Amino acid sequence: MSGPIVSGPARRPSRVVILDHGSGNIHSLAKGLRAAGAELRIESPSATALDADLIVLPGVGAFSAAAERLAAIRTRMRDALGRDVAALGICLGMQLLFEESEEGPGRGLGVLAGRVTRLGAARVPHMGWNAVERAQGSPWPGMGSDDPALARAGLVEAYFAHGYACRPTDPSCVTAWTSVAGDRFPSVVRAGSVVGTQFHPEKSGAPGLEFLRAVVDDVRPRVCRAAGSAWSAPR
Amino acid sequence: MLMRRLVVCLDVDAGRVVKGTRFQRLREIGDPVVLAERYARQGADEIVLLDISATAAHRTPIHGAMAEVVRRAAERLWVPLTVGGGIRSVEDVDAALRAGADKVAINSAAVRRPAVLTEAATRFGAQCVVASIDARRAPVAAAGDAGPDPWRVVVRGGRTPTNLGAVDWARTCVGHGAGELLVTSIDADGTRGGYDLDLTRTIADAVTVPVVASGGAGSAADVCAVLQQGRADAALVAGIVHDGVETVSGLKRAMAAAGLPVRGWPATRPARAEVGPTP
Repeated sequence: MSGPIVSGPARRPSRVVILDHGSGNIHSLAKGLRAAGAELRIESPSATALDADLIVLPGVGAFSAAAERLAAIRTRMRDALGRDVAALGICLGMQLLFEESEEGPGRGLGVLAGRVTRLGAARVPHMGWNAVERAQGSPWPGMGSDDPALARAGLVEAYFAHGYACRPTDPSCVTAWTSVAGDRFPSVVRAGSVVGTQFHPEKSGAPGLEFLRAVVDDVRPRVCRAAGSAWSAPR
Repeated sequence: MLMRRLVVCLDVDAGRVVKGTRFQRLREIGDPVVLAERYARQGADEIVLLDISATAAHRTPIHGAMAEVVRRAAERLWVPLTVGGGIRSVEDVDAALRAGADKVAINSAAVRRPAVLTEAATRFGAQCVVASIDARRAPVAAAGDAGPDPWRVVVRGGRTPTNLGAVDWARTCVGHGAGELLVTSIDADGTRGGYDLDLTRTIADAVTVPVVASGGAGSAADVCAVLQQGRADAALVAGIVHDGVETVSGLKRAMAAAGLPVRGWPATRPARAEVGPTP
């Protein structure tokens, strides 16, 4: 077959790569992303080609160990995100979007300005379900919000398991906040096509899965221009 | 505000859910995967699967039927899953996480070698390391005038007593890296006479990590009591929901009615019709 395809299936599944930085449990996340419709690869940071529609930084482990594993691709990763390749950072993965962490030495990706500090709560880790309050718009599902994925998912509560939280220099990237024992921290940040969640959407029930679906759908290429390999670039 | 959790525990023996009283007289309840999914759909905030015979039988944990149960349950659950029973090493923790667990409960092995908690926390993060503590109130003679820590740690599924004070041991576990404590009163287990509020409160006040109270739930009032007077972050139930004395949704409704912050039952917003996590 040759020439442009003008009809037929216009969209393929979103291609998603999870960067497995070696800390173990990415099973839940992989299951969640597949259920959200992603075509999924799991790759070691050093071996990845970063050629996906969405790059996912998973959420388990310690900052320093993960930063060390990311060091080899830090520049490539920053370039890719600068070219508007989409990324989703979950929990520790969100923290890795920032510059540095009080948890230990090492450089985050620095895609967002700010650092990560220990939660100011009496009981740490902050473990369990908590309210996710949208930064602007209505806290009610379906009544408008600045964060399209939160709005689409109707997500108002989510599961958290972390001892540190992100402190952005410019809070305008924060689309949702969560409070524990007087410490108010960002539970969702967005910068261009980069999204970070401090909670675990893959453990947050049906709304969490819907949130993942919204993120995965959002990076799905819109048009199929030609047969074979010539897919249009993700928007 | 951090919500209080209702955790449903499934004790698994040879691939089936069982329940006993004071860790004895086990009865078969049903298929763990079917039950886990049902409880999650009803609003359980977390599911615990404990292989209750792994330690005593010196079996490799998370293998064979149990591994299959964990894998199948993890495949269907969209809420956190804790797995325990016979976990001895960081490799066992890894195996449990790879089978789909989100958190791993370590009990007897931590008493033998507390460093296993540190090793697991360093590699996988403290948030997935649960120190599981089975405690029994010492006979008055042995405990003297009781004192601040009249409970002793019991290991190997309630079979082997130790001289460790439960409160001291709880502090030690946290010092070694545990990110959560699952505290079971053997005296109360399966009796439906209420949780050991003293034990729960004393440990909750002594540590800085979340405490899950276990053993003795007989009613919704018991669950509310251990979350309020007992100061637990989470209440674990088993028998009362297996036997239909209470339902998961009924317990959560009671928690919300008692003024506790509860997922799916927001106090300041109209209750949603569905809390079910199953898509």
